[in-house]
Amino acid sequence: MIDAQLLISAVIFGLSIGSIFFLMAIGLSLCFGLMRIISLDQMLYYSLGAYITYSVSLVTGSIALGVLGGMIVAAIASFAVERLIFLRIYDRDIAFTMITSFGVLIGGVGVIKHFWGLVPRPVMVPITSQLSIVGTDVPVYRLLLIAIALLVYGGLWLFLNRTIIGKAIRAGIESVEHVEGLGINVYRLFTLTFIIAGTLSGLAGGLYAPLIMVEPQMGLEVLAFVFMVVIIGGLGSIKGTLVSAFLVGQIVSLGSLVYAPLAQMAPFAVMLLILLIKPTGLYGTAFLKR
Amino acid sequence: MLNSLKWWWGILLAFSLLAMLRLFAPLPFVNEVLLFSIYTIGCNFLLGRVGFISFGQPAYLAVGAYAAGFYLYYFGTNPYLAILLGVLAGVIVSLMVGPLFVRLRSDYFALVNLALTVIIFYLMQKVLAGVTKGDNGLWFLANIASTPLLDISRPDQFFIFALLVAIAVWGFYKYLDDTLYGACCLASKLNEDKLQFLGYSNFRIRLLAFAIANTTTALAGAMYAIYLGLVSPEIASPARAADPVVVTILGGTGTLYGPLVGALAYTGMKDVISKLIGNWELFIGFLLVFIMLAGEKGIWGTLEPRLTKALFRERNGGSGSKPGISR
Repeated sequence: MIDAQLLISAVIFGLSIGSIFFLMAIGLSLCFGLMRIISLDQMLYYSLGAYITYSVSLVTGSIALGVLGGMIVAAIASFAVERLIFLRIYDRDIAFTMITSFGVLIGGVGVIKHFWGLVPRPVMVPITSQLSIVGTDVPVYRLLLIAIALLVYGGLWLFLNRTIIGKAIRAGIESVEHVEGLGINVYRLFTLTFIIAGTLSGLAGGLYAPLIMVEPQMGLEVLAFVFMVVIIGGLGSIKGTLVSAFLVGQIVSLGSLVYAPLAQMAPFAVMLLILLIKPTGLYGTAFLKR
Repeated sequence: MLNSLKWWWGILLAFSLLAMLRLFAPLPFVNEVLLFSIYTIGCNFLLGRVGFISFGQPAYLAVGAYAAGFYLYYFGTNPYLAILLGVLAGVIVSLMVGPLFVRLRSDYFALVNLALTVIIFYLMQKVLAGVTKGDNGLWFLANIASTPLLDISRPDQFFIFALLVAIAVWGFYKYLDDTLYGACCLASKLNEDKLQFLGYSNFRIRLLAFAIANTTTALAGAMYAIYLGLVSPEIASPARAADPVVVTILGGTGTLYGPLVGALAYTGMKDVISKLIGNWELFIGFLLVFIMLAGEKGIWGTLEPRLTKALFRERNGGSGSKPGISR
């Protein structure tokens, strides 16, 4: 039916987009879990990461440096946004934060347009070599993406389970009031989580930049997919985000193998289905109101 | 008679001001404002009265537009019938998806609506490309027959038609606000448990509100189709999914004239600012953040109490002549 070689490269392709989705969605998911905000402005840090990668790699010729620069700028930007805007609205309801962060996203897209213009920018692929898996040539760079995503997942798991700050964050996801009652300054935790989220989004943008064209609307294009990943996985669940990111990646790439228009539509159909059957997502728990 | 006049005067005043705007502003601008405000009032109703934030209004806009477009392109020529079909399609689609959607929480609701928009966008762009002509869209400006009384294939007469429709729509929403049903909607936003306790069904109230709001949006879609003379998948573009929400908040969530003021401000800013700096997203984005931080009242929500106060003082003291529109 479907050629085996085609299938393998499609699976790798799906896993690599899934990795990007995971890196972005994990920030959103953590922010929702701990602070109960929906932070659409993660897409802004994603575009920022990609643009800084483009600029730095143009100057220094090194993508790795560019990605690092992108992460740093994304971290600074998310810190500034958190201090200036989110700190004032943590106690508002979710829809409110969603709209506000959407304003930040649109405004940020405007800033990017101001500095870099409207023209899509290409970023060269740092590793062009191919690796042969069962007779199929697979780009090494895509494998690297998957490895980085898994590393980040492992690192996050260690951070959340083995360090005291990580444990406080996990406790905060269960109940912010109790953590506050223990004498922990939850607003520090919020800031830290927000910066982690922004940095990971910047990382995603920087890593994905060589595979796509860097353009101002790139954040808006990926927004729907990232959201879907978070929703399917269940808001606030890290494991669920990983599973659903790879799931959505596979649906996109295998769907396009079967019938091209499906690539864009199928994930949304799947999301509708999952939501209607299990409204909290795959791994979401029932705690939905603060 | 006097009572009904009192009930209508705010709406009539608002729209006669808008009709006067026709004298100063170019016709496409005024038409755009009218269409956009009809488009937005559905979203305003959902967000302000029922507490549902919807990032999926373009889906219903496209449903109305394509229903009208298919009719005009393949079957007939009567624009009024096309609009009627658009509205009918809106009712059918919103009653189909409504029962599934209105069970969800507000933020999930926003996202499944966004998903529906993406699905409809790709449905129209790729899957049904044989019927919808894909990205090229359906062009049927020449197919629209001129109608005897009000020839809405001409932009200047379309303006009158849109104005009449808008007055009817606003009258309807004002009427809704006054009824028991309107109170129930607000109650289901504020405290659904208590409403249930009183013996009302949250589900039915929300479903009806969902159907009403999205039918209005479909009506706007059908009118867009007639006005532009074409429909293309662009109308359901997910990139513009937040426009109605932005306009709703800009104007003032839950206020009757918010969508009108918001659409006016939004369209105006889009025109003026894109001429000045060519980067109006920057402005809109930060304006949105500013409005949210300043208390999410929006332009009309801030202006209304002051105008009412000014008007009240005017009646007492008789000084000042700035006309105010008040609910």
